[in-house]
Amino acid sequence: MTPSPIQMCGVAKQFGSKAILDNLDWEVRPGQVVGLLGRNGAGKSTLMECLLGLRETDGGSVLLFGEPLHALTDATRARIGYVPQKSDLFEWMTALQMLDYFKAMYPRWNDAKVASLLERWGFDGLMRNKPIRRLSGGEQQRLSIIRALAHDPDLLVLDEPASALDPAGRRSFLSELVDGVIEQGTTVVFSTHILTDLERVAPDVAFLKDGRIALQGELDTLLDGARRVIGPASVLGAALPGELRRSQAGDGSVCVIVQGGSALADTPGVRVEPLGLEDLFIEVTR
Amino acid sequence: MTTSLFSIIPGSSDPIYRQLVDQVRRLVAGGQLAPGAALPSVRDVAQQLTVNPMTVSKAYGLLELEGVLDRRRGVGMVVADRAAGAGAGAGAAAAAADRAALLRPTLERAAREARELELDPATVLALFTLILKESP
Repeated sequence: MTPSPIQMCGVAKQFGSKAILDNLDWEVRPGQVVGLLGRNGAGKSTLMECLLGLRETDGGSVLLFGEPLHALTDATRARIGYVPQKSDLFEWMTALQMLDYFKAMYPRWNDAKVASLLERWGFDGLMRNKPIRRLSGGEQQRLSIIRALAHDPDLLVLDEPASALDPAGRRSFLSELVDGVIEQGTTVVFSTHILTDLERVAPDVAFLKDGRIALQGELDTLLDGARRVIGPASVLGAALPGELRRSQAGDGSVCVIVQGGSALADTPGVRVEPLGLEDLFIEVTR
Repeated sequence: MTTSLFSIIPGSSDPIYRQLVDQVRRLVAGGQLAPGAALPSVRDVAQQLTVNPMTVSKAYGLLELEGVLDRRRGVGMVVADRAAGAGAGAGAAAAAADRAALLRPTLERAAREARELELDPATVLALFTLILKESP
């Protein structure tokens, strides 16, 4: 069996006295495209940095393609691509110098893809030869994506890759993800706050909350089964099947978020509503 | 077959695959997609709408299971013969009922919103009649 690209077991990470990752277990299987969701400060970037070995963990184990992080072979390292949320490295180099520098480090480098992406994403002669620090935030982000895709990685980790892109740039990035990456069977993990982007490309979502993966599943299944059930406390007193959370309104009515659908749709006095991804995000991460 | 046949609204409570399924059903029932007509390829639809190809193939797969589409070797997905919408004679009434059933989810949403706004049924029906009469 092919080992999972990512397997994390009991991973812990503290900043001072604050636990960011708390005994976190997570597995991403080959070819999965997973959207990582969580509130600001939930630790999405930390999780990504820890799983890539860019940050020391306080405990637990991480296997990438079946190899422990501390003993990762160069061959496996070369199978991984990463787009950090903000890259401030190599700012003195020009785009072309930086790409050449990275090309020398990888056994595999797709020159045709790099040339085509530079062309399509507006890197004309002038821009290719400007120091990176003089590029705009969006341009730097596009360059960082090109760098991460250039060696045709088998595992691509993207930390808010579209945060600095305008809507046209985002769409163009998503197209490349759909056509150049997902079609190739690449395993992708990416975090974003733009939930409509996520819905377009990620069949699976994982919610990071309180230092753990609180909920993971197929997005379609979650959306198909997510319901907001509102009714009097007398009817909704006991825990419902698939209950995620509940709250009480001032007028005494109870609002329960469930997954897996609700059989209460025909109960008098009870309202059952479907939830969109944004509502689901708010309810699960609250 | 043009891929701009479909449009999606991400972010709604209807998952994208279901939006695609509903659209194909409506186009077939309404006769815009005739029996034997070829559907655009999964890859073309995925590219055109910028969605994961898995989502498109899931929608096509479900439509195949329902008998709306047929997988034809070398051609891809085509509209199934017996999926014809408006037929002649006795079939026509059943076909109209099928088409009306397709409107139900949209109307259910409207009904829910009407209840939330505490509108009485007569007002809502009058408004809907008015909308039906407006030219598109």
